[in-house]
Order: sequence, then C-alpha cells, then structure tokens
Amino acid sequence: MRDPRDPLGEQVEIVVASGKGGVGKSTIAAVLAVELYRSGYRLVAADADAEAPNLHLALGVDKWDSVEPYYEGRVAFIRRDICTNCGICAEVCPFGAVEVRNGNYVINEWICEGCLTCSFACPVKAIRYRFKVKAGEIKVAGTRYGFTLVSGESMPGRPNSGKLVTEVKNRAKSLLGRSGVLLVDAAAGIGCQVISSLTGAHIAVLVAEPTPASFSDLKRIHKLTKHFMLAPMLVINKFDLNERFTKVIEEYAEENNIPVVAHIPYDENVPKALNMGRPLHEAFPGSSAAKGVLEVVSYIKKEVLPNWRRWWSTYKPKKPEIYVPIIK
Amino acid sequence: MAHEVGGMPLRIGVAASGGQGLDAMVADRFGRAEKFVIVDIDEERGKILKVETHDNPGYSAGSGAGVKAAQKLGDLGVKIYVGPTPGPNAYAALQYLGIKIYTLTGVTVREAVEAVIRNLPEILQS
Repeated sequence: MRDPRDPLGEQVEIVVASGKGGVGKSTIAAVLAVELYRSGYRLVAADADAEAPNLHLALGVDKWDSVEPYYEGRVAFIRRDICTNCGICAEVCPFGAVEVRNGNYVINEWICEGCLTCSFACPVKAIRYRFKVKAGEIKVAGTRYGFTLVSGESMPGRPNSGKLVTEVKNRAKSLLGRSGVLLVDAAAGIGCQVISSLTGAHIAVLVAEPTPASFSDLKRIHKLTKHFMLAPMLVINKFDLNERFTKVIEEYAEENNIPVVAHIPYDENVPKALNMGRPLHEAFPGSSAAKGVLEVVSYIKKEVLPNWRRWWSTYKPKKPEIYVPIIK
Repeated sequence: MAHEVGGMPLRIGVAASGGQGLDAMVADRFGRAEKFVIVDIDEERGKILKVETHDNPGYSAGSGAGVKAAQKLGDLGVKIYVGPTPGPNAYAALQYLGIKIYTLTGVTVREAVEAVIRNLPEILQS
C-alpha cells in the first residue's frame, strides 16, 4: 500500500530542458516546483544552469542558507627560486597569460587556462600548478514556499563542465532523501552541463517556441532524451506568435509520440513576474500564460506522478537510441 | 584442481555508487560514477570468480570525464560494461575500445552481474 505521506516511495527526476535558450524553462520550472510541492510531494529543486542561473530569481530567493566554493581546473605559477627569466613561457603561452612585473616573469592567474604548454616548454622546469582553483559556488536556500533550492553558479572565465551540475544534483538528491521529486532546471543547449542534467533523469519537460531556431534545437534535445531513455512531454510556449509554425512542431510531436501538454500564449506578464521575483501564477494568477503553465502542472499531477513508471514506459524509447557525436 | 577449459575469465565493469563490492548500487551516471566494481566471471559456468573495486578517474575530472572513465575500463581489460547509458562521447569511446555496453540501472551490482550472465550470448553478439 502506498503511504499517503510518501506517495512516490522513490526519487523521480524531472528535467525541464529546451535546447534553445529563453523559451521559458525557468518560468515553468518555478511554477512546477511550487505546485508539485503544494500537492504533497517531497521536492527539491535544482538549478543546473551554472552560467546563468535564474530559478532563484523566479522563486524570490534573496538570501542563501549556505554557499560553498566549488573547485575545478588548475592554474600555473612560476617558482621564483628556479626561474631564470628566459621568457620562453611568455612566447609559447597561447593565452597571453605570462606578464613581466618588476623585471620578473609572472603568470596572470585570471588568464591562465592550465593548458600545460608553458610547463612543457620551460627549460628549467620552474612551473608548477595550483589545483584549489575556485571555479564557482554551490548555494542552498530554503524557499518561502517550503522546499529547498540548490543552485550552482560558475565564475566568469572558469571552466564549466558537467562537474558543477553533477555536484548540484548530488547535493539536491541527498537533501531529498529516499523519495520525492527532484526538479531540475537545465541550461540551454546540449553541451556537457545539459548531458549532466539529463543523465539519471526519468522525465523531460521539453519547452519550445514556434521558431525555426527553437524547432531545430528541440530536435537535438529530443535526440538526447532518447539517448538517455527519458520520457518527454512538450510545452509550446508563446504559441500564438506563429500558429503556422506551432503546427509544424505539433506534427513533429505527433510523429514522435511526444504528448503536447500545453500551449502557452505570449504574455507580457511573464517577464514582469520574473522582475518581481515571484512565480508567474503567484504574481499574475488570472493571466493567460499562468493558466497555460498550470495545464503543465495539472498534466503531471494527474497523468504522470500517480503512476509515473507506467507513463514513463509509454513515452520512453524501447531502448537507448544512441546520439552519435560527429567525431570522424 | 581439474584443468580449466575455456581460457581467460570474462571481465565485467559496473558503474557503482555507495555500498561495498557486489552490494553497491548501480550508479545513476557513467562519466562521474563514484567507482567501478570489476567482476571476473567464469563464462562457461556463469559463476563469479573475483570482485574488485577501482576508482573512476572521471569522478573528479573537470572535462572529459566520460572518456576518462571509458579509458579506465579499457585499461582494466573490461569486456562488458553494465550501468547507466554513457553520454554520446563516452559511448563512442567504449565502442572504440571494443567494450560491450549493457544499460541497466536501479539494481545492485550483484543483480546487474546476474543479469549480464543471464543475457550473455546476446550481449556478446551486440
């Protein structure tokens, strides 16, 4: 028998992704997080867009309960006691990171990418590496809606691989515990951060707008969901800006067994809500866009979560459809 | 001990997290899985001969985590990988290394190895 206090009995991971940026992921993710939590599910939200995190803005988070540094990469430095000031490092550095200060060659740590070229070139082996390089932060906040948000933020110029997203998700999962919903707001694109967001997830809420760019990117993110065996659903946002193209996207969804769960009209209240630091349906409850987003909530509450494995079996690929990278 | 017919044991690599050895859980990601549990089996008898746990260099890697993890399995002589589907680049690396890939999650390492043993002919032909 299912425990009403623990309806899921296990962790279910829902990722909001799109391919193209600016189509409405964070707006939708914020409303989903609030409403699924209010429905009684244990829930932790994770902002997996470390370069431009927005979810905390939509949820009105203004202070963080914990901020921890995140380390990645390496930065070179020159051992003064070994260096002969020959200048070869400055000649070979591809990034122009070697400078002269007070007559000595010094590596500018803000420019250095840790590529190792200088250390190979140095004739006296004077170059060493520092590994505790702060590349970002992992932040945790209890939102005013009652659930926890884990957010990653990378520092400008520092590497942003999937590693920070991995740490954000792992932290969110350990906060969630044995069971509940992990709601992940992915970054745009299909790069390493997005791969890291998708792996291990079960359900994808794909968001598209009716433009050729968004459709092209939707097809790519869809291929990735098939690679990782996620079951996707589709939300068409700002659909009324081009109803002909909306039909094109609907046809693609139909051909590929992706349920279209909401059409959200273009609504100027959306950016207003974000500026107010409130989820759309709290800031403008009667707005047409809010009603559209609540249809996504309703679909997930009624059709997906009560028996998510059955929904997942219906819409996931039979076996992984491997996305072959262009290597040759 | 009777002379064994059949040659080298078959080496299986399982992406794992938590727990110990065969009781660890299959990981939820490949490139940055916490560790690999390496299990040698007697192919003919379908029996487990040896269990070892190895670090995954991809776990702490910034870039190229999946490829580093694949490389590690290659270095360890793994013939069959079991666990979550590796990402596109890592998947290509495993194929290049000639390692068979069997997607399976939500079970213990022991259950994963038993599933491989049950499906051995299809996996080896895939």
